[in-house]
Parts: sequence; structure tokens; C-alpha cells
Amino acid sequence: MLSQPDADRYQAAYCGLCRDLGKRYGFAARFLVSYDMTFLYLLLAGQQPETVARPCACPARCGGKKRCVCDGEGYRNVSAASVILGWHKLEDNVRDSGVLRGLGYRLLRLPLRRAYRKARAELPAFDTLTRDRLERLHQLEQQNSPSLDATADAFADLVRGCAPAGSVQSARPMQMLLYHVGRYIYLTDALDDLAEDCAKGQYNPLRFRFRTQEGRLSQEDLDYLTQLLDSSVNLAGSALALLELEWGESLLENILYLGLPAVLAAVKAGSFRASDRPSFHQLKGRNRHDRSL
Amino acid sequence: MTDPYKILGVSPTATDGEIKKAYHALVKKYHPDNYADNPLADLASEKMKEINEAYDTITKARSAQSSQQSTGGYSGYGTGSYQQSGYQQSGYQQSGYQGHSQFTQVRQYIHANQLDAAEALLSGMSPQNAEWYYLKGEIAYRRGWLDEARQCFQTAYSMEPGNGNYRVALSRVQGTYTPYRQVNYQNSDLDTACNICNTLLCLQCMCGGCGR
Repeated sequence: MLSQPDADRYQAAYCGLCRDLGKRYGFAARFLVSYDMTFLYLLLAGQQPETVARPCACPARCGGKKRCVCDGEGYRNVSAASVILGWHKLEDNVRDSGVLRGLGYRLLRLPLRRAYRKARAELPAFDTLTRDRLERLHQLEQQNSPSLDATADAFADLVRGCAPAGSVQSARPMQMLLYHVGRYIYLTDALDDLAEDCAKGQYNPLRFRFRTQEGRLSQEDLDYLTQLLDSSVNLAGSALALLELEWGESLLENILYLGLPAVLAAVKAGSFRASDRPSFHQLKGRNRHDRSL
Repeated sequence: MTDPYKILGVSPTATDGEIKKAYHALVKKYHPDNYADNPLADLASEKMKEINEAYDTITKARSAQSSQQSTGGYSGYGTGSYQQSGYQQSGYQQSGYQGHSQFTQVRQYIHANQLDAAEALLSGMSPQNAEWYYLKGEIAYRRGWLDEARQCFQTAYSMEPGNGNYRVALSRVQGTYTPYRQVNYQNSDLDTACNICNTLLCLQCMCGGCGR
């Protein structure tokens, strides 16, 4: 459960990211704001003194104001990564869709083209990494890979790539934290999609790793998967403890220890899919299980 | 050295009791048991050393100021104590296979985080006994490949059920090994209605985590 100050802090960081995207990359880029990139911002910004939020105009409120974190430098990489991931999502959708549906994605791509070029210039290595990992994921899917680790690794590695090069002291914990969060997200998402993928005969790593019956895992396999995910949370938590955070640790712990398991519980209960899921990820790659931040 | 008070997260005007409390909390957080065989064990060890040094510095300075006053029961948390009982003796270093030179070399690679080299050496070894699976599991674990790690640890443990290291390694990926967690974020003095709102917000924050 978030305390009120942490809830306010999260909201202000989210609105701040939206504002920064608009400021740097144009209005259309505001639609790429996401909860996962807000998490990344909190993780990175926590290593610096906290920027106080202030009221800013919010287009969604027709000029009304919302409290935003105005941390230009702190958002720099996070905004660029958001645009790169959003762009690759559209690219893959264009590639995978038919002519008519693809046309929609092409049109959506237009207002983001300049933003993407600018973001790519900002983070060229991350752009290359995103492309490579999505390609690797695609290949594993084509092979119907039964390896949970290999498929989750492709996505988790992408999430890990969001961490900028920092001090040696903080780089390893940060990378390990992001890796295991990415892994958790990928596998939870795969579980959420399992029934649908089984019904449509589409690739899902869980389908090839475990035996499924009517699109469901046995209780034993579900417990096994839950334990793997718990281990990821433990490793991510141990990494978080080693980050020298000046603020926001309780908020990040909350997300790790309560938020992620809450999502998993909802997925297992079948109550997650029906909800209007605000995107922690924007990118869906070309395949069913291309996950993204 | 960085300000010892800053390391312990206390004010220079903190009482001895407050310092002791902060120190104990940090010891609990970075205790070697929480990072046994963790890929970041070396960093936690450095952190623990830093905390111990900061605490020693403060207690010594204060005891000098209060003329010969003893630091009492704190000595058990001194630098030496944790350094000797922590990572240095844990995990694969305690294995009964230390005599096997190739396994020793693999362990050294793992310890130095040279996982590719460790894997290459391990792949070329023919007797795939319990230790082989255990080390393969360690490599996978450090890479974050927890499914493979669990299968390897399970095989090692099945081959030698009496080996405590294999049992501990398996428990790590079975979720039965639970390191220290800060739980104070769960505390809240908000009223019920506010709690519900915050729960929903928290859930909403994470729901997108699996968004498609």
C-alpha cells in the first residue's frame, strides 16, 4: 500500500514524464508516457536530490493544473527511451499487420518520426539494443523455444539496457534490478496471455515449457512459476537495497514487493485481463510475446 | 572516509541509542546471510564493511569523549566479526569438491563473475556429477536464468541429498529462502478509505506492467 506522500510522488513523476515528453519530442510523444518508464525515472532520479513538484498545465485537463516533477536532466534518458520503445512498437506492428491495419500504424508513426530520430540521436546504443533484442525474441519464437530463461532474457536484457552507465558501485545493482523486473514482467505477461495463445495456436513460452490443459497450467506448474518469480523479486530487492538512493526507496519497494505480486495474483485469478490495463509497456514487438517497457 | 554519521543515516547529534538502532537496522539489511551466493554479495560485503567502520569510528570517538566509557555489547558487530562469518565461508567455497582442480577453477571464475569462462570450462568436463550440476546452476543463477538454475540445483540435490550447499541453493530458487526485506512501507496511518484509494492506485501503477 502506498502512503499518501509516495502516491503523490508517483503521480507527480508520471505527470512530469508526460510533460517532458511533450516538451522534448512534441505533443504526440506525450501519448508514450507509461508507468514503467515512470518507475525507471524514480529509480534513476532517486540517486540525486529530489526535485520538488510544482503545478503545471495538463492538456488532459484542458489547461487545468497537476503537480509535476520538472526535472529536465533526470527525464532526459527516460524520455528518449520511451520514444525509442514506442517507435519500435509501431514498427513491429506495421510489419506484422495486414495492409489495412498496417495503414493505421503507419499513420500513427508519422507524427513520431522526428521524435524518434531525435531520441535515437540521444541514445543510439539503446536503439540498437532494442532492435537486436526484439530480433532475438522473434527468432526464439520462430523456433518455438521452450526455454523460459532464453525468451525472458531477451526482454529482460532490453529492460536492463534502459539503465545508463553509472558508477561501478551502482551499475551492477541497477542492472540486476532492471533485469529481474523485466523478467518478472515478461513471464507474468506470458501467463496472462496463455489461454488466448493456446486457443489461437500462437507462441507462448509457457505453452512449450509446461504441459497445458485448456490453456491453463497445472497447480504444480503454476506454483513452480510463482516460485521463480518470487526469486526474481528477491534478487531485485537485494539489488535495490544496494542502490544509494536519496529518496523514493519505500515507493520502489512497494512496487517490487506489493505491486508486482498483486499483478501476478490478479493474473492468476483471471481478473487482470478484463481490466483496462494502463500500459507499463508501450512496446509490443512484432510477436505475441515481444514485451516492452 | 565519508562522514560516518551519513553512512549510518543519523545526525551527529543523535543519541547513542539512536546510533545503535540505526546500526542494527543496517546490519540486518546488509547481513551476509541475505546475500549468501547473491551475485552482488561482494558489494554487500563492502557496504557492511563501510557500516562497521563508520560505527567503530563513532563509538570510539564518543567513548574517547566520555573518557574511558566502554562501548559495551557492540563489539560483536565489529568489522572483524562480520567479515569472518560472512561471504568468505559461504556457498560453493565450502563445497566438498575443493580438491578437484577444475571445479576449483570454475568456482574462481564464478566468484570473479567471469561466467562465460566458467561455463566454457564446465562444458568441457566429462563427469557430470552433482558438483557439476551445482556449478552449472550457480552460473545460471548469476545470469538470472532461474529456471535452468533450479533444474540444475534439483539434479545436484537429487544426486547428493545430504549436501547442505545443494539444499540451500535449491531453496534459494524455490522461494523458501527469503532475504531481509524492509517492510516499513506497508505501515500507514491513513484511514480506511484512503487506504483503498492508495491500493487501487498502487495496483493501477503496476497493472500496466503486463500491459499489451
